[in-house]
Amino acid sequence: MWIYEKRLQYPVKITKTCPKTAQLIISQYGGPDGELSASMRYLSQRYTMPDKTVGGLLTDIGTEELAHMEIICAMVYQLTKNLSVEEAKTAGFDAYYIDHTAALWPQAAAGVPFTAKEFQSKGDAITDLTEDLAAEQKARTTYDNLLRMIPDPEVRDPLKFLRAREVVHFQRFGEALEKTKESLRPENFYYFNPEFDKQFLKK
Amino acid sequence: MFEKEHLAIASVPMQRWGELYDEQEALDNGTVFPDLNKPFFVMEGAPVPERKAAGTPGEQQREHMLLQIQKVSFVVDDVRLYMDTHPRDAQGLALLRAMLGKRKQLLKEYAQQFYPLTIDCMADACENVPEGGCYCWQKGPTPWEGACV
Repeated sequence: MWIYEKRLQYPVKITKTCPKTAQLIISQYGGPDGELSASMRYLSQRYTMPDKTVGGLLTDIGTEELAHMEIICAMVYQLTKNLSVEEAKTAGFDAYYIDHTAALWPQAAAGVPFTAKEFQSKGDAITDLTEDLAAEQKARTTYDNLLRMIPDPEVRDPLKFLRAREVVHFQRFGEALEKTKESLRPENFYYFNPEFDKQFLKK
Repeated sequence: MFEKEHLAIASVPMQRWGELYDEQEALDNGTVFPDLNKPFFVMEGAPVPERKAAGTPGEQQREHMLLQIQKVSFVVDDVRLYMDTHPRDAQGLALLRAMLGKRKQLLKEYAQQFYPLTIDCMADACENVPEGGCYCWQKGPTPWEGACV
């Protein structure tokens, strides 16, 4: 069950229309390392986690990623809500405009539609947490790239916040991996799959 | 640094409780923990956009209160993740409990003065309304309209 709270986690107030910027940051909505794929990754992986507290962490971070998706969507929306067709043509937003007008649709900056192929839920706690560590780094790099390219302070400000969250989540997934190790054999962490061969887990 | 060192697996040191940012600094930096604040060099000296509440005095008051809720709730978000991996940390727990109390109070006041942010807050909004009242869940601007400060 989820409860909606009618506010953004971080304020977004963008006053200048810029379809080009919208086209770039939409990647953090539906792109390979975007917030939607982050959320679906963690919320999919949590069910089979052998450590209940790690499943809880995945729920909390997966939920926060939904809030980040909403921040990115609010940014895209505000960058395009007063869009003229001339602006759409000149800024390279034209192809997106044809299919979606100024509506929100999850895609990468290069136009590739959102797909579950962008993340994994592998059913092995070590494998999945290692993927999660990498996922946070990939999202951080994407924010770095956006911050290099986008000059508008009103856009950079929420991007800076979202980037900082990736670093915090990386730390938490690292700690979750340490916790998971406690129920494994220290001489060989790969002796069994902690999500499948449950009989070997240390109580 | 590591208690036990192992080959062929990733290791991240456990964070220890330490210095904290205040609520405003936490929201500005994206974390309440200075130890986890690792900014990107291109953002050095970048101007922070001026957030002037626009509109009527009532509107300004609403945005000011919403910002308070955002600040307190963000500390809750960040400390909750810390507690998920440090469930026995007494200092973290004390801060989380204090912030949860503050958040509850602010959400209630916001619902009574403006509109409910969660469906449960609708009860607070209706508290002083005589029998019947109104359906106020759809009241207020949508979050993506830039009405959040």
